[in-house]
Amino acid sequence: MSSALVARSLVNQRVATALVHKSFRPLALQVRKSHSDTVYVPGGPIYKGTVNDPTTFPPPNRSHGSYHWAFERLLSAALVPMTAAAFVTSGSSYPVLDGILGISLVVHSHLGFDSIVVDYLHPRKFPVIGPASTWTLRALTVATLVGVYQFNTNDIGLTELIAKVWHA
Amino acid sequence: MQSLVARSALARSAARVPTRSFASSAARFQATPTEKPVLTKEFKIYRWNPDEPAKKPTLQSYTIDLNQTGPMILDALIKIKNEIDPTLTFRRSCREGICGSCAMNINGQNTLACLCRIDRDASKDTKIYPLPHMYIVKDLVPDLTLFYKQYKSIEPYLQNDNPPEGREYLQSQDDRRKLDGMYECILCACCSTSCPSYWWNQDVYLGPATLMAAYRWIADSRDTYKAQRKEKLQNEMSLYRCHTIFNCARTCPKGLNPAQAIAKLKLELAAD
Amino acid sequence: MISARALGLAPALRQAVVASKSSRGLVLRSVVATRGVQTQSLPPSAAEKILNEQRLKRPSSPHFTIYQPQLTWIGSIANRVTGAGLSALLYGYAMAYLVAPETFASANVIELVASMPEAVKIAGKTILAAPFAYHSWNGLRHLGWDMTKFITLKGAYSSGYAVLGATAVTTVALVLM
Repeated sequence: MSSALVARSLVNQRVATALVHKSFRPLALQVRKSHSDTVYVPGGPIYKGTVNDPTTFPPPNRSHGSYHWAFERLLSAALVPMTAAAFVTSGSSYPVLDGILGISLVVHSHLGFDSIVVDYLHPRKFPVIGPASTWTLRALTVATLVGVYQFNTNDIGLTELIAKVWHA
Repeated sequence: MQSLVARSALARSAARVPTRSFASSAARFQATPTEKPVLTKEFKIYRWNPDEPAKKPTLQSYTIDLNQTGPMILDALIKIKNEIDPTLTFRRSCREGICGSCAMNINGQNTLACLCRIDRDASKDTKIYPLPHMYIVKDLVPDLTLFYKQYKSIEPYLQNDNPPEGREYLQSQDDRRKLDGMYECILCACCSTSCPSYWWNQDVYLGPATLMAAYRWIADSRDTYKAQRKEKLQNEMSLYRCHTIFNCARTCPKGLNPAQAIAKLKLELAAD
Repeated sequence: MISARALGLAPALRQAVVASKSSRGLVLRSVVATRGVQTQSLPPSAAEKILNEQRLKRPSSPHFTIYQPQLTWIGSIANRVTGAGLSALLYGYAMAYLVAPETFASANVIELVASMPEAVKIAGKTILAAPFAYHSWNGLRHLGWDMTKFITLKGAYSSGYAVLGATAVTTVALVLM
């Protein structure tokens, strides 16, 4: 939330700096369009096109649209019986369930973190921090998946750990 | 509650005045309004003047007598503009909640000033801000250009390549009923500007008002461009920034439910 | 002013003022024939540039700092915060185990927790159980909404309070477990 606030205050600054950059460019480039002296900055006070032009849509892609949404919901719904099962069983007697739960939790977490990045640090507004955080998140998720696999195979497994810590 | 209190106060003042006979003089009639006690209330209103752009936006305080003012926030604003400060700027037109011009943030909630009663509790001030997270043209007037451009992008009109010949479009009563609760939207932008997702990503996320309008045409049995309309929304930003926060339905001054329309829209897109 | 209004004199007074003003204006206009203001001719294409210069000066109106705290959006951000907190713990522990499996072996963790005073254990359990309970119950609420169940304003509020109640009960039950 605070990042978005910062983004908002940055926008005007960025418009200002973009203007400065523009004015240093060779004249030939500037003449291209008479009214393009002011640069479009996503989320800024200047809009693409005239007031009568509708906004445009990103290219359609179902894996970013309904498939992503449906997968997210199905995974969340699947976590419900898995969590309930983890409560009544023990991880060591059902290692497969423990493994699936571990992976599902990590993927569910990844989707959650990813929507935070998209909401607050989208690359169109943060050309450097945005992609950097997306890739950092991906790397951390992979590391976490490996860590969970290691823990579930070499140690007692997540469910058992939580149960034992809880009653320690 | 407040109106109840006000009414009982009215009843009491009426009781004090002995029953008015038909013969009572005109002078007594005219004297009654000035007998009302003075009930001053403070209004703190967001001010920003484009002629002095370097000056930061401020809250300016105005105190008016509620007993000399109409019941609604819009009445107070008009009174302030008429009698105290003619430079106060706000949009208004119909004063009955059908044009959507006077949408603003009153005591932390987006609503229409003409449909929002003044809180008669004079000990508390009333804070009036423009619609949240919008670029401000002046005082309470936000720039709604992007909002309208987005509304235009969903092609808010009937599209049908095979119009019935020689007669109007027919629609069953059940199909018509699907549009209830959506077609009434007056595009006041209260819902969109109450939505945190719209605050952070309004250049790419359409926002509740526009999405409900989009579903209004997808749900219309007479429209044959449903597939194209849905296909446009198949991306990360336009629709799926909605996280069912519910501020839209909570704030709608017309009592509509954009959250429900968007939920149905997501379900229909997933079923394709 | 009030007395003038009571006497019904206000319109008459106003008219008098307006009349004197306009007559003065007439006199002035006839004396000063030319305007003192300098104008500048601009092509119609300059309009957008002027508008954009104005747009760049516009402030953004305040948002979450002035918006009324409501169950709707406070509940929503709480869902995100609790989820992110629990996930951060999962990520943190899994990666810590990956880097130093000896230090973060389950036996060590359990031993560390066991050595803590009872009050710290209860506090720690509460800090873990409350977000888990809230995120789980609110997650179910979201799944209901996605199937267009109780997706009315009334439904949102009653389910919201139900989630808060269930969270309180579940948290206590989990801590006592």
